[in-house]
This record gives sequence, structure tokens and C-alpha cells, in this order.
Amino acid sequence: MTTKDIVLVALFAAIIVVLGFLPPITIPLIAAVPITAQSMGVMLAGCIIGARRGAAAYVLVILMVAIGLPVLSGGRGGLSVLMGPTAGYIAGWVFGAFVTGLIAERMVRDGQPEVRQYLGFFLASIVGGIVVVYAFGIAWLCFSTGTPFAKALIGNMAFVPGDVIKAVLATLAARAVLAGYPMLPSRA
Amino acid sequence: MDIRFSDCSVKFKTHVALHPFSLVLSERRIGIIGLNGSGKTTFAKLIDGLVKPTSGTVTVNGLDTVKDAKAVLSVAGFIFQNPAQQLIMPQVMEDIVFGLKAHGLGPAEAEARARAALARFGIEALGPRRVHELSGGELQLAAIASVSATGPDILIFDEPVNQLDLKNRRRVVEAIHALPEHAIVISHDLPLIEDFDRVLVFHEGRIVFDGLPAAAIKHYREIAGC
Amino acid sequence: MLTSLYVEGDTFLHRQRPGAKLALILVVGLALYVTESLTVQAVAAVIAAAIYFSLPIPFREAIYRLKPVLFTIAVLGLINIWLLSPHEALVSTLRLLAVVFLAAAVTATTRIADFMETITWALQPAEKLGIVRAADVGLALGLVLRFLPDIFAHYEGLKHAHAARGIAFRPLRALGPLIILTLKDADAIADAIDARGIRGR
Repeated sequence: MTTKDIVLVALFAAIIVVLGFLPPITIPLIAAVPITAQSMGVMLAGCIIGARRGAAAYVLVILMVAIGLPVLSGGRGGLSVLMGPTAGYIAGWVFGAFVTGLIAERMVRDGQPEVRQYLGFFLASIVGGIVVVYAFGIAWLCFSTGTPFAKALIGNMAFVPGDVIKAVLATLAARAVLAGYPMLPSRA
Repeated sequence: MDIRFSDCSVKFKTHVALHPFSLVLSERRIGIIGLNGSGKTTFAKLIDGLVKPTSGTVTVNGLDTVKDAKAVLSVAGFIFQNPAQQLIMPQVMEDIVFGLKAHGLGPAEAEARARAALARFGIEALGPRRVHELSGGELQLAAIASVSATGPDILIFDEPVNQLDLKNRRRVVEAIHALPEHAIVISHDLPLIEDFDRVLVFHEGRIVFDGLPAAAIKHYREIAGC
Repeated sequence: MLTSLYVEGDTFLHRQRPGAKLALILVVGLALYVTESLTVQAVAAVIAAAIYFSLPIPFREAIYRLKPVLFTIAVLGLINIWLLSPHEALVSTLRLLAVVFLAAAVTATTRIADFMETITWALQPAEKLGIVRAADVGLALGLVLRFLPDIFAHYEGLKHAHAARGIAFRPLRALGPLIILTLKDADAIADAIDARGIRGR
């Protein structure tokens, strides 16, 4: 990694932490699930700084959690979070950001028609930020609690509407950054 | 100090930032003035090897900025226009110690050197302060302490008193004047370089004047039309 | 703004090396996952809880720290009583409690600097293979903590800029500008790090 890569990774990790402190928004129709901005970071990181750096930013965030800094939304932190039943989602962030980045790097380029950029970011966010994160999250949840897979999957569906809204918001933000300060590594 | 530019030029893509020039610098205090975008910062970054010459060579005390890039960095220190971007650890003391450790010092020695660096500029009180909370003048002094702590022979300043209030300006100006190191200072603040040994005037990527401060300032005023 | 979860003290756990404590979590965790014995899980959970609550943390603070995790474990436990059997639900709940209490105890008794030392040591093999430089990890961590307050300041700045122009401020709509404001400093910061020769060795 170049020095600039390290700086981008660190700054993005800091953005992810800041997202955890922003007030959560609630959508009237699905008021049960408040939308915390932090898990949007997976989509944002992949779409904005790409696969490798995006995943590295999450490794850094998890490292901070591990050494006892309360950097997750709601002031959570410490090894207990990484050992709890939802630890799979946290591990999934790293892979989710990576996959989001892979797709975004391949689908989105500077100078494309806007619609294609929006579509690329949205698809990348859905696959990386939702499918991949859920896969890791549900796998660990089932293993650690013994909950049957099918039931866990159904339970998870409650979060899908909120996460789709996040994908929309992340798409808008990623496209704004691409227009204003592009740094998504293009496929070399 | 011995800085030599030989047929040196810098091009960014199609834009020529510095036209070919040759120059030797050895004075203790060197000022650089000129309009925005005239090539001053590119020139200063050439010395430190942060910008590589597109053609020609730059040597600092005999070290080539391309071939001996790392060695050049320990001879020439650079204080950036925005020192907030230069202090990279949360606390001032931590920042200086981190830089020293990166240069191979052990923890105890780094700590001692960092304290000495703060004391040198009379800012011991800034040691435990958080970088984020420092004022402009404090940031500038902390950056000078942080960069000079590793013991460079030459300090390069990019607009060190830009945006400082009168009181902080005086503190920084005094600090620069008192430096035993060689100093190369880019400045829009003309009184700061009034008593320097040599001043270069840049205009549109060329050195258009090279001489004593009074004449240089006069030349610069003519270019600027005021 | 960001206070570590470390708690000052001189307990047995405080005195152990971080590597040993992390290994303990790993070994206990693995051991508990290979057994389905209710007795073993119960004993482990009680011991782990006893260790955690005997640390010099006020009881309310100790509970507060674990509230989100404990809540999730409780909800999943209740669901599992219905989905599986009370016995199975109890086994998995007690196992999670044991591991979580133990992990929280290690977090509360290990300083950040000590963790970092262990991490640097653990990264040595990766460093030899050229995958990652341990010093870069320390650098990155320092950068995050250094620039966090600046990003909050950017956020406040955007809020005020909206207010000054009479535009309603939507936090999530400001994300794009906030990210640009933050990342555009990256070049200058990277240049400064290189100028100071910090990654030279």
C-alpha cells in the first residue's frame, strides 16, 4: 500500500466511526428498525475507495473495537462485541466492503452516463453490503446460537427494507463523491 | 548547505510547472516570493524530493533527490502550508515521538528528544495538548518542533505565517529567525523575508529575479502591478 | 471524545500479558463450542461473570457496557426456546454469556498500548512475507484518532453552512460533501508523512 492508500484507509475508518455517532433516522413505515448510518459504511467504503482499501478500512475499525475503543454505533466496542452472536455481521463488513468494491470497480467508471453509475453503485451495495454481510452474519448466528438457518434467514428479512434504503442513500453519496472527487481505483 | 539544480524542469501532464533552470543555493536564509501558481511550492517540493524533476537533477548536500530520496528527507525537513495536515498523531508529544521512532530512535531517547524539541521553541505546554484543539500559531510551532526534532540541516517553509494573527505571526517569525538551521521560506508576507540573505522571485514557472530582498520585493511589486 | 474501555486497576487479569489473555478467550471459546454439557456451560458462565463483575468497574457501568450484547443474546435465547428446545437454548445462551463476559473482562483489563504491542508482535510473520508492515498499522490507527475530531468539525461546519443559507440539514444527504471534505486532505497528509520520512524504515 502506498502512503496515500494508508491515509485513505484511515480517513475512511474515521468516517465509519463518525457515522456511528450520527443520529439514526427512522422511516415512518418501518419504524421498528431505526436506520443507523454506520452499516452504510460497508457500501460507501467499497463504492468510494474500492475493494482493497475499503476492506482495509473495516479491518482497522474492527481492530479498534478489539483493542477496546467504543467506536461502533451506540458506543459499543471491546472484544465482547466480537465474541457475541452478531459478530458474524461485523466480520461480514470486511468481506462486504471488498465485494462492493470489486463490483463498483468493474461497473462504474468516470465519464459514464449517470444512470449507469447509479445502477453500478446500487447493485454493488446490494450484493456487497447486504447479501455478503448477511451471509456471514447468519452463518455465525446459526453456529453460535444453534438457531436453524431457515428461521434465521426469515428473521433477517425484517432488516432488508432498511438496508435497501441504505443502499439507495449510499448510491447517492458515492455518485456525489465520484462527481466531486473521484478516487475509485479503475481496473488496471 | 549545498543545493544544486541542474537543467531541472517539472511538468504535470501537459502543464509546465517549472521551465528548465540551473541554480546553486547555499545561503543561510533564502526567501521565495511570487504570485499564486508561479511555481514556488513545486520548487520547494523539488528540494525535498516530494516532487521529482521531469528532466535534470536536484542534489542536496551531494544527495540526489531521486536516487537517495530517503537520505534527502533526513537532511531537509518540510513544514507544510497547512500544518494541521502534517501532525498525524492525536497529541503533539505523541506526534513528535512517533516521527522520531520512525527514524529509528528507541522510546526513551525519542521521548527526551521530543521534550527538547518542544523546549527549544518554548512550547513545552503544548506537549500533552490534542492537535485538533491547537490554534493556528500553536499548530505552526508544533509542526516546526516536530519536523526539526529529527535533526534536518535545512528547513523548508511553505507560507508559515499565512492566516496567523499578529501575535502568533510574531512568535513564528521569531522562531524562524532564531533557527540555527538553514531555512528556505516561501512567503506572501514580505516583511518576513526583508532581512534574508537571498530572495528568488518566481513568475509563470521561471525564476525572474535572484538577489537581495529589497530589489527582489521591488521586482515582485512590478510583476503584481502594485 | 473516544475513551478506551480499559479500567485502571491491579487485578490478576491486569497483570497478565495481552497475548495470554487473548489466547485464553480463544481456548475457552473453542472448548465451550465442542461440548453440549449444560453443567460445563453453566459453570463457565458463572465463573466468567464472577471475573467480570469482580473487576473495579461500578456495577451499573459494567452492565451498561454489555447491554446491547446481552439484549441480543437474551432475545435469541428466547426465540430458541421456541424454535429448538429449552435445553438447547440454555446451552447456547450460557456459552455465549461465558465468552462475552470473559471477552469484556479482557477488554477492561488491557491497555491500548499493550494491545498494540501484541498486534505488532503478531504481525511479524505477515511482515516477513511482505503482506503488511506492522508500523503501518500503528500509523493508520494514530491517523484515525487524530482526524476523528476534524471530521466531526467538518460535519458541524456543513450543518452551519446549511443554516447560514437557510437550507434544511439532512444528515444523510450531507454524506457526500462530508466524505469529499474529509478525503480531499488525503494527498496533503500523505505528502507530509512521506516528507517526514515516517515510512522510511
